[in-house]
Amino acid sequence: MLSLFAPIVAFLFQQADGGRFGVMWQSARSPDLSKFLVIGALLFIIGVAGVLTRRNIIVIFMSIELILNAANLNFIAFSRYLQDTGNMNAVAGQVFAVFVIVVAAAEAAIGLGIVIALYRNKETIWVDEIDLLKW
Amino acid sequence: MILNGWEAVFFWIFSIAAIFAGLLTVMARNAVHSALFLISSLLSVAALFILLGAEFIAGVQILVYVGGVMVLFLFVIMLVNVGAEEQGLSEISNKPRQVAASLIFCLLLVIGLLFAINTGYQGLQKRDEARLGGTTEQRRTQQQNLATGATGTSRITTDTQQVGNSLYRFASLPFEIASVLLLVAIIGSVMLARTLKQEAAVDDVDPEVLLTKVAQEADRAETLREPT
Repeated sequence: MLSLFAPIVAFLFQQADGGRFGVMWQSARSPDLSKFLVIGALLFIIGVAGVLTRRNIIVIFMSIELILNAANLNFIAFSRYLQDTGNMNAVAGQVFAVFVIVVAAAEAAIGLGIVIALYRNKETIWVDEIDLLKW
Repeated sequence: MILNGWEAVFFWIFSIAAIFAGLLTVMARNAVHSALFLISSLLSVAALFILLGAEFIAGVQILVYVGGVMVLFLFVIMLVNVGAEEQGLSEISNKPRQVAASLIFCLLLVIGLLFAINTGYQGLQKRDEARLGGTTEQRRTQQQNLATGATGTSRITTDTQQVGNSLYRFASLPFEIASVLLLVAIIGSVMLARTLKQEAAVDDVDPEVLLTKVAQEADRAETLREPT
């Protein structure tokens, strides 16, 4: 199935000549560490925007998951980079990502417990209506 | 670290999918849609992990995030959903000025992060120029040397083995602490989410005391709700 598309992709990948566009194309067809870092940064920003703008507390939690996931992507990308610069057995980044996932799971459980307790008392999930600590 | 050929194609497919699904997570009006978009974003990032050679983390991501955490999210959405949001009765975001301020902040953050990545990566490349050359070949030969699976076409990766080794060899104390953290999280969420009746039942409270407590709780909830 994949081999059906192979000529098209090969054709697209041929035209890497000089010029600014050629350089961009050349770098786009061989993604390296910096591409992964940019993707991680964009996911992080999207998560931050969600935390800052949304009113629904559950969507805010989901944005936090997005942020943690972006951090994980950076860890894994750097782990691969370290493997490729000599140390083939460098997996410290992956071990760290496991811990990030564990902490994210614990955070989600506690946070959603708080949301349920809050909803039982205040009957709202809008963060601008939860102002008990405001004086 | 360079991805070649099909790996590059799949990199662009999955990274664009991850970013668009992330954007839709933040922008969706219905919280259930948000959760489903977040699931697709997490799956795309898991695919990126596979491209990076971290098969174990990709599996953990799918099992724990998609199979565990997101199901928990969906349950809570269905327990508390007020329904005003998707009917358009209520604003999904904060006041316009707050949104404008936070978007400006995010824009500055984007600029700062991209600048930092650019300069930092150039420095990194300059430092590791000599060592980055032969690694593609090295990785290819390493993959050729892996044992084949039952079908004869696939290779059995040693990634899980390596992660397990370094997890138990260098991070065994954090591993134990993480298990304690999970235990605390379980107990904490049970404590937080139980009702007053369940609380009293566990503590063997006298039925009359319980009744007055329930009445007090109802009063308190009534005052908290602030009739406007």
